[in-house]
Amino acid sequence: MAAPGLAIDFALAGVAVGSAAALSGVGLVVCYRLTGVLNLAQGGIAVFTAYLLRELAVVRGWPLWLAAAVCLLLVAPGLGVLLQFGVFGPLRRRAAGVGELVVASVGVLVLLIGLVAAMWGTAPLADVPSLVPVRTFTLPGGRLLRLDTVAQLGAVLVVACAVWAVGRFTRFGVRSRAVADDPALAELAGVNAEAVGAVGWAFGALTAGLVGVLLAPLVLLDPYGLPLLVLETLAVAVAARFHSLPVAVAAGLALGIVQAELAWLHPSGTLMPVVDAGQSNLFAVALLVAALVPWGEAEQGLVGGGALLAGPAAPRHRDGWAPLLCAVVLLTPLALRGGGVRALLTVPGIALVLLSVVLVTGSGGLVSLAQGAFAGLGALGTAQLVSGQVPGGAALVVAVLGLAAAGVLVGWPVVHRRGLVLAMVTFALAVGLSRFVFQQPYATAGLTGARPSFLHSDRALYAAELAVLAAGALLVAAVRRGRLGRALLATRDHEAGAWAAGVAVPRLKLLVFVLGAALAGAGGVLLAMAGGAFDPATFDPVQGLVWFATVVVTGVDSAAGAVLAPFVLVALDSATVPGMSAVVVGALATATGHLPGGLTGWARSRLGAWS
Amino acid sequence: MGAQPTGGLVVTALRARSLTRRLGGVAVVNGVDLDLTPGQVTALVGPNGAGKSVLLDCLSGVARPDGGRILLGAREVTRAPCHWRARLGLARTFQQVAVFQGLTVAQNVLVGAEQHGASGPLGRARVAGVLRLLGLAELAAHPVAGLPLGVLRLVELGRALAGGPRVLLVDEVSVGLDATQVAWVAQVLAMAAGEGTAVLLVEHDLALVARLADRAYVLDTGRVVAAGTIAEVLADERVRRLW
Repeated sequence: MAAPGLAIDFALAGVAVGSAAALSGVGLVVCYRLTGVLNLAQGGIAVFTAYLLRELAVVRGWPLWLAAAVCLLLVAPGLGVLLQFGVFGPLRRRAAGVGELVVASVGVLVLLIGLVAAMWGTAPLADVPSLVPVRTFTLPGGRLLRLDTVAQLGAVLVVACAVWAVGRFTRFGVRSRAVADDPALAELAGVNAEAVGAVGWAFGALTAGLVGVLLAPLVLLDPYGLPLLVLETLAVAVAARFHSLPVAVAAGLALGIVQAELAWLHPSGTLMPVVDAGQSNLFAVALLVAALVPWGEAEQGLVGGGALLAGPAAPRHRDGWAPLLCAVVLLTPLALRGGGVRALLTVPGIALVLLSVVLVTGSGGLVSLAQGAFAGLGALGTAQLVSGQVPGGAALVVAVLGLAAAGVLVGWPVVHRRGLVLAMVTFALAVGLSRFVFQQPYATAGLTGARPSFLHSDRALYAAELAVLAAGALLVAAVRRGRLGRALLATRDHEAGAWAAGVAVPRLKLLVFVLGAALAGAGGVLLAMAGGAFDPATFDPVQGLVWFATVVVTGVDSAAGAVLAPFVLVALDSATVPGMSAVVVGALATATGHLPGGLTGWARSRLGAWS
Repeated sequence: MGAQPTGGLVVTALRARSLTRRLGGVAVVNGVDLDLTPGQVTALVGPNGAGKSVLLDCLSGVARPDGGRILLGAREVTRAPCHWRARLGLARTFQQVAVFQGLTVAQNVLVGAEQHGASGPLGRARVAGVLRLLGLAELAAHPVAGLPLGVLRLVELGRALAGGPRVLLVDEVSVGLDATQVAWVAQVLAMAAGEGTAVLLVEHDLALVARLADRAYVLDTGRVVAAGTIAEVLADERVRRLW
């Protein structure tokens, strides 16, 4: 074959995906600079805009230019402005922490995905119109060039240059740079940070919409696939360290082209499955690499200012009634006759995962978005052990110990990161585990089941699960109440002060990270046994984000909330439609600006007002 | 410059030699020699930007010096991490008060005690003693969040004292305190010195320095420009010019 020529053809094909990724990266960088928010909602805005364009242009028969203008110039920026004033403005005003901003953007993501699924269904669509007519013309030398590729590349370069010029030569540029450096100081100097934030969100939403509209014709459009694709373009913004536009554009284009080139490089032999997985998930690889490479000076700018979660406004009460309430709620189904227990089998597993978030984020102050992925490892390990005829009890022990070891390996680089960087490193980890382990045949082939034979009855399994959950809850309570818990809270509240008091901060963080990984892993073991098999969709990165958001919504300091929330959510899903619980969590998450301390914090202040 | 040897009988609690720290190419601490003697209060004074806080960061391990050595007792700690020095008996407070907002007053102090092996009943006894000393006993169960700055400084000092430090570095403790509280702090620091702790007092309030300190170092643009007994230093012509 004419290899060099073919290489050029593939490169041109890669430019289409690459320019969309570059555009997404530019949007993420600008939005972060102007608002201080890591915009995980980008994928939600993208998929919403793509569906809306199809609705207007295909279903309603509007002219394409008009539909595109309404979607991109009106709806998407309008959505962005709405987000600033409804969701993120209030959070900024009360100086919310990194974790809460992440959770609010997860809430927007989940809500938009839920909205799209509810309005347009989940069946994949292949008829999204391309904005630029698909026409090819011939270059000298016989190469075929597609007009839409050229237009996309042009759009990226125009947008990047425009952003640069505005930042460089206009008064708004000066103001926005002041806000990016220090919003409080900029406000003191008379800059309206709120307005600058609104512009940031409008621009971020516009690029997100454009990315969605550009990518939708290239893929089968469904509510879940496109948001994940856009989330992976986070790699581009991370590579640019949320600062450099040229790096974002170059990284996006380079990743698109390299991915296309890898498509015709078909190695044989044992490595082939791995290379194949890498080719189809190059953005996930890039995200992992870009997040793990030391950030150096760039990290200072990102972690500076504010705690991970705004500290507890009120001191922690001993909620004496809380453990009792949890026990009553969870034990009642055992006493009831009938099949009620079957629907609740997943509750203890999810509760353990949420408890791990309470431990790692609530007490340890580490924003770890990888707890769902650790649960997935536990589940996968169980499925493999049970398939290999190891009894379930032994599977639990082996899987949890293995997870603890994995936590040490992963945790070592992780504990030296803080704030937003830690959130991104752990999210990259979750994406990587999902793409390279959970979804790969080499990891999941030949699994027969995950339910040990001696726990055949639902009732017995549920009782065993509750016993494991109780052990986990006791562990968390012991850690939080004792010397370790005080040292953790001290580190969370004032790291330098804790160092100076003699707390061995890195060792402490590693310990809590490992405990959290083991706890989440145990939750995954229970989830695998409850489902009877390993299901990669349960441990998808977005599901992990929803779990994290659930804990922040219920109150990140509240172990009782973490135990009760899954009960409510599972009941909600089985009473209505699956996915309803995620939408409810999403809606509550967008309201975190008005709900400091989560639902438990709200409940405590109510109870406090009564007494 | 630096302190003259005092005959070799008195052991220095903390000794720094040729300590240098550069920030962006500028030596903000430049070849500083410093000795802290057990049972004495040593003051470190100088104009804003003289490098006092950076020097404190180097001594306590918050920042790594670019040159020089630090000995804590007989042990070299130049490269030792912050918590390691703390466990060897070096305690400090911060110019921006460092308390743990999610904990109560007593728990703040307990965190300090627990890192030095005083947990359980021993730790509680130690905390009770420190709180009595600082006049905080009534606030023991009060959450730290919402307390006035003056009280927070006392809480921070309590956390530093709870480990029974051999060396105590105090950064601008009088800021935000009223006259009564300053007098109280002075008494507490004098008492700590009386029990053998070497205290380094970074302070703008020269009246407090004159009342409390035995010796003083004057720092200007990263260098020690004068050192000696408190009377000598306050009488020094170069020091007078700095004020």
